[in-house]
Amino acid sequence: MTATLGHTSIFVALLFALWGVVSPILAYRSNSERYFAFTRIAILAQFALVTLAAASLIYGLVTTDFSIRYVAFNTTRATPVYYRVTGLWGALEGSLLLWEWILIIFSGLVAWIYWGRQRETIPWVLMVFSIVSAFFLGVIAFVSNPFETISPVPADGRGLNPLLEDANMMTHPPLLYTGFVGLTVPYAFAMAALIRGKVDEAWIVPPRRWTIIAWFFLTAGNLVGAWWSYHVLGWGGYWAWDPVENAAFMPWLPATAFLHSVQVQERRRMLKVWNLSLIIIAFSLTIFGTFLTRSGILSSIHAFSSGPVGGVFLVFLSFVLLSSFGLLAFRADLLKGQPELNSMVSRESAFLLNNIVLVSALFTIFLGTIFPLLSEAIAGTQVSVGAPYFNSVTVPLFLLLVFLMGVGPMIAWRRASWDNLKRNFLWPAAASLLAGVGLFIWKVRDFLPLLAFTLLAFVVLTIFYDTALALRARHRNAGEGVIRGLVTLARRNQRRYGGLVVHLGVVLVILGIAGSMTYSIEREATMNLKEHLNVGPYLIQFEGLKGSQQPTHFRVEGSFRVFHEGDTWGVLSPALKFFPNQQSPVGRAVHRSTIGEDIYLILSGFSELDKNQATLKVLVRPLVVWIWVGGFVIALGTLLAILPLGKTSPETA
Amino acid sequence: MHRNRRFIIGGLIIVAALAYIIYGGMREAIVYFVTPSELKATEAASVDKFLRMGGMVVNGSLQKDVKNLTYRFELTDGTASFPVFFRGVPPDLFTEGKGAVVEGRIGPDGVFQATTIMAKHAEEYSPHADGKDGYPKSFVPGKESAQQ
Repeated sequence: MTATLGHTSIFVALLFALWGVVSPILAYRSNSERYFAFTRIAILAQFALVTLAAASLIYGLVTTDFSIRYVAFNTTRATPVYYRVTGLWGALEGSLLLWEWILIIFSGLVAWIYWGRQRETIPWVLMVFSIVSAFFLGVIAFVSNPFETISPVPADGRGLNPLLEDANMMTHPPLLYTGFVGLTVPYAFAMAALIRGKVDEAWIVPPRRWTIIAWFFLTAGNLVGAWWSYHVLGWGGYWAWDPVENAAFMPWLPATAFLHSVQVQERRRMLKVWNLSLIIIAFSLTIFGTFLTRSGILSSIHAFSSGPVGGVFLVFLSFVLLSSFGLLAFRADLLKGQPELNSMVSRESAFLLNNIVLVSALFTIFLGTIFPLLSEAIAGTQVSVGAPYFNSVTVPLFLLLVFLMGVGPMIAWRRASWDNLKRNFLWPAAASLLAGVGLFIWKVRDFLPLLAFTLLAFVVLTIFYDTALALRARHRNAGEGVIRGLVTLARRNQRRYGGLVVHLGVVLVILGIAGSMTYSIEREATMNLKEHLNVGPYLIQFEGLKGSQQPTHFRVEGSFRVFHEGDTWGVLSPALKFFPNQQSPVGRAVHRSTIGEDIYLILSGFSELDKNQATLKVLVRPLVVWIWVGGFVIALGTLLAILPLGKTSPETA
Repeated sequence: MHRNRRFIIGGLIIVAALAYIIYGGMREAIVYFVTPSELKATEAASVDKFLRMGGMVVNGSLQKDVKNLTYRFELTDGTASFPVFFRGVPPDLFTEGKGAVVEGRIGPDGVFQATTIMAKHAEEYSPHADGKDGYPKSFVPGKESAQQ
């Protein structure tokens, strides 16, 4: 019953999607307004129907309707209600439905917000949405059906992978999907502009705003994924350059590039083709990511299973690339004639360089991700490209990016004068060099971390110095104090100050990554009762094992007392969880964070419970906590940039 | 024309720099995948190369010293087997008769010195048919004595 309702909704929604694709073409040919109105009806109908389908599946999951194969494979009677709901994205079929649902929510929002304002463009925007939606609905209806029934109906379901039963898993996939799908909005606007041949500056405003929103969700999704990896997977790391992680990260790079280069287009009417290309690439990468994840061509902990879905996505990806770039080439005449760069020392050239670096990073990551496929297809040799490749190629690029993050927001447009450079950069540069020398004298002796910390200091100092100068001006002109002045500045130019706060957040994230990449300590040992282990400034004493039966699993916990330079920090208890329906235990690592470093304990094994011998892995990871703090700062900055807090000045930066 | 030339030169410099860092990164980080029989055949040529070898842990070959965290075992692909030495903590799924992938180099003694062991995960998560198992009395990595 539930299954029939859901599956039927999908079919009817598919019909509406096709109607939404055809109607603007009919309207254009017959010059009839009526058909244009249909594009909106098609979107709203899809919105209602897909919501109904998603609700049916959620209802099936919550009521453990095991006649639906998907429910039987992803819940059990014992599964708590909230994890039954998250079963929606626990496997391939459901996550495609979630994707489509988010897509149609975005399309509905766009239809609702812009219908009255951009009557000419919106039907075409909605048509692009309907094309993408028709593809996903087709996949759900014919290739990967979450409403497939099973008979005989099993007595109990299989349940989610226990690793996915975690609070972060409730947020990580939807956040990431929202980010991915959000990139469809700028894509739809870009395509609409190209189809209509109206590629002046007006079309760029909605994509800019929606890209910030998508960017925010992409950033949050990736950071929550890193957090989950660090806190739950229990290997002590947060990023492994796993192909699927790369798939989630790659769209972030052109999206970030676009957010910067779009300012050059707004200000200087340059980079039109480049901006359109970035939008197309970002959208294509979301489809490519799904292809990579779902095709099973790469082995990864994220890959659900192999099947025909991968091939279907590859076909759609080719269609997107060919039609989008074809359209771009077709409209090339309209995009010609842009002003030239006045000087290499200017804000537009800093942004251009930032774009080149981001796209280079994208290219190197893309190459590393697909290299094993290329190697096997062309040379027939199986190879793997590990984390060292990605680290060694991206570190110099990201360091360059950090430098540009300090320069870009402060340097003058068009042509920076010597005075401008001196005024904005002399003191921050001098102070950060001093900080670098200080760090060197203190203890940072390696070149890369020293360079990284110095550049990070430079970015922070340029932001603080610039804000301080602006505050001084407010004080002189309006007699405002620091707090009042900050509020006025932020309200007058939300985008600029939001952006600067985001930059501070990014600095913190990079600080955490740089610290934990370069100064980690790792030790492994098998310990007897009361035995000690020295790890850096820590001393760890083994205090015994304890086993206990939990509702869903048997848990073995080791107790380790941690001393830091002689002071006791209490007992940390990493555990191994034995699920009856899993072949091997699931580790539960524990850690304690301070602002300086984390100590991270993993119980790797133990002898007979009563013999009290345990194998422990200890990691000391500096500055990790700043990655998560940086994430919050980025969120705050994004909100400051997009929330309608007050009047924004037309002067945008 | 003058302007274009400057852009082309700039572009070439960027492409060259990028190619250089990619080449450097690849040379260090690319890992070839071999089977035990392939490695046996090319043993002399493979000394000092960082490799990844996949196979099944030969039943009865695993000797471990839990106190010192050392493991000796043989990996086989059905036709040939290759001895492996590893110091550290292998993953939970690593055990005799199961698939494993090791990374490392051939040592001077002709034994593969693994720096990492990756166990092959089951493709799909599948529970036991017979419900609850007994609780684990001990769990030593590399030996699934946990499930009796």
